[in-house]
Amino acid sequence: MTASAPEPLLALSNVDTFYGQAQVHFGLSITVARGHIVCLLGGNASGKSTTMKIILGLVKPRSGEVTFDGASLLGLSTPQIVRRGIASVPEARRLFADMSVRENILMGAFVRNDREAIAQDLDKMLTLFPKLGQRLSQRAGSLSGGEQQMVAMARALMSRPRMIVMDEPTMGLSPLYVDRVLELIRTINQEGVSVFMVEQNASLALEIAHEAYVLQTGKIVLSGPARALKDDPRVRDAYLGGSEAA
Amino acid sequence: MSSWLDYTINGLIVGNVYALVAVGLALIFGVSRLINFAQGSIYLVGAYIGWVAVVQLHTPLPLTIIVVAVAAAIVGLIIERFGLRPLQNSVRIAPLLATIGISFVLDQLVMLTFSPNPRALPSQLPEVRFQVGNGTIGPLDLLIAGVGITSALLLFVFLRYSKLGWAVRAASQDRDAAMQMGVDVNRVNQAVFGIAAALGGVSGMLVGMYYNQIDTAMSLQATLKGVVAEVVGGAGNVPGAVIGSLLLGLVESYGVAVFGTSYRNLFAFLLLVVVLVLRPNGLFASARQAPPEPLTGTFIAPSRPVRIPRWALAVAAAGFAILPLFPVSFYVLQTLINAWLLGMLALSLTLVAGTIGQVSLGHAALLAIGAYTSALLSLTLNVPVGLAVIGGGLMSAALGTLLISPSFRLRGHYVSIATLAIGEIVSLVILNWESVTRGPIGISGIPPLSLFGYDLISPTPIYWFSFAVMVVLALLQGRLLTSHLGRSFRAIRDDDIAARAYGLSLNRYKSLAFIFGGFAAGVSGGIAAHLYSYINHETFNTQQSILALTVVILGGLGNVVGAILGSVALVGLPEVFRIAAEYRILIYGIVLLLLVRFRPQGLLGTM
Repeated sequence: MTASAPEPLLALSNVDTFYGQAQVHFGLSITVARGHIVCLLGGNASGKSTTMKIILGLVKPRSGEVTFDGASLLGLSTPQIVRRGIASVPEARRLFADMSVRENILMGAFVRNDREAIAQDLDKMLTLFPKLGQRLSQRAGSLSGGEQQMVAMARALMSRPRMIVMDEPTMGLSPLYVDRVLELIRTINQEGVSVFMVEQNASLALEIAHEAYVLQTGKIVLSGPARALKDDPRVRDAYLGGSEAA
Repeated sequence: MSSWLDYTINGLIVGNVYALVAVGLALIFGVSRLINFAQGSIYLVGAYIGWVAVVQLHTPLPLTIIVVAVAAAIVGLIIERFGLRPLQNSVRIAPLLATIGISFVLDQLVMLTFSPNPRALPSQLPEVRFQVGNGTIGPLDLLIAGVGITSALLLFVFLRYSKLGWAVRAASQDRDAAMQMGVDVNRVNQAVFGIAAALGGVSGMLVGMYYNQIDTAMSLQATLKGVVAEVVGGAGNVPGAVIGSLLLGLVESYGVAVFGTSYRNLFAFLLLVVVLVLRPNGLFASARQAPPEPLTGTFIAPSRPVRIPRWALAVAAAGFAILPLFPVSFYVLQTLINAWLLGMLALSLTLVAGTIGQVSLGHAALLAIGAYTSALLSLTLNVPVGLAVIGGGLMSAALGTLLISPSFRLRGHYVSIATLAIGEIVSLVILNWESVTRGPIGISGIPPLSLFGYDLISPTPIYWFSFAVMVVLALLQGRLLTSHLGRSFRAIRDDDIAARAYGLSLNRYKSLAFIFGGFAAGVSGGIAAHLYSYINHETFNTQQSILALTVVILGGLGNVVGAILGSVALVGLPEVFRIAAEYRILIYGIVLLLLVRFRPQGLLGTM
């Protein structure tokens, strides 16, 4: 299926990460092919969020390599990495709570200077997330969790990224919003944006992902096409409540 | 006689001046979660640059304002780039201490350049006053109001409509998220420090013109007032800082109207303590969230203390004990007596700041309480001096703990601010409570130290006495640290929530630490009173509190031997090298800066 992909958009190879003495990643290698949705699964404290932080340059690995579109990201600051075309939807949204919804969305375009195109993109976001239209001048902190997730995704898209990294996009959302968010991720992806997402909710993530990796205490224990992993008994047992469902 | 309208106008004008300082503090706190104790120094620098411009270069007023703003902004940028940015990844207390060090260095450089004598700073404005109702207002009042309002508008436009302003707001709400939007946080910090410094500098110049006088004591007062206004308005809240400043100005002005000038500062600090205790997030903070203060554990640089074998300590103690038997000069003994007195204060502070994690910036107040108690007991009640000194220690323990107890619920930086304010309040109460403390005249003719009827007048017995007291206190404290109590203290320091979850009553343990620490500091103050024979409300000032903190950090927070070593080093070395007094403060500041940057765990390590 992915055999024809020549060079991945994002590649982590042999990454070792430490917090002080504690090792978080053991030779982590992950690739995201152009135009794909790749999902990183894993339980608590498996090193998922740290993987996000490595990509965004918030944490520096001790060894290994991280490349985006063939060029190394190591040694770049987070703002520089954002300018290379990686946008993020952080865990728990992390909106600017005291700024308005409009200001939050426009903050996503911070790295751009083309005013008119930014205004057009804002309109585009409002067609993609119609609910936000009535909320534009409201404080972002006053929105519901689901609405905040919409703002966070709109904000990420405003930088016209080539890739979006998302940390648990469905966490804490009502079932209705979970479906909506997954549908939106698919829409975004169909417009050509690659997606790398970290999720605990494996069954949902495997619905929309092309490939998936399973991370356990800092090591990749399983990887492959999402469809294959979905049927893999080991994943079923660990993440899908397989034994009960069966 | 001035009318109420006059007091109101005066309060609002002074409030405007405070606002220029407080807004800068709020911007910096918003982005860096840092209380910039160097803000007052920039204000001082601004005042002196204004003096150079007006008196020596004869610049017209608009140009003077621009020159001061630009020059102060440059100082702010230098502080950010070289003083604070290198500390980005160090422990949370590091930048706070660095700004204290920077303020010492800047104030002292100004003093060395311009001499400590006050100078006149003429305002270049006509000396007329307009009648407004039953009050009057002058051109300088209008200028200050104009600068205040213009700055507020410019700041509003900057934050609301410029790209960098958006970045500042985003970074102050969520630094990491802002970085993920491509915001360069270093640039934001630079912008914020530049703006804060420009506003602070102009504020200092305006105040200089208002009173037609500038001197180096302005710096600390400005920092304190700015911090009060900022915290009253809610730390990091820019509009809150403006309102807090105006409120502070009015409270002070009405306080002066009712009680007199010497009460001005008392009202400021009482307002601060009341706000800290009742609404620590400020008057205008929504109940939504407290500023993300770190747990106390992340506040102290963790390290492995240097192990010193007991026999080595015993040998060193014996060496110091028999020192007077050798032909050493009285001068050396005198220097070491000062070191032992500072050592007692450092023991107290290292327990409170290091072991239980309450970084106190007002520790000199404990000295003052002990000194006044002991002096008054011996003078007015004829209590024998030895007992009076113990009485001073007990009074410091009791009163100090009582005064600090309302702020036990505070954490991190807020503890430092509260202790600073309480320290100032103690000194102001001493100044104003004339019937007991003899007010600004001070207490003179304090009897010399005496034990069992024998007066200790020559340096040798005084040396032995103070050394023995310090050693006893140090041994007690060392014993305390290895006990269950010491472990509980450290548990509270490292994680107060976990400690509480294990059933430790935070208030009880904090009280115990302050009782023990208060006693040691009070004894030190008591001995000092009898040595000096004269004390007043300024004998034990904030500079001593900061010196004690530098000593404690030099030795290693919580480290008993380190506290004593630090005292000997900081009192003794400047004497040995015969460094002139005016350079000493400069050296303390530089030592603090270097320590924070290169060895935050101190010489002997934190315990």
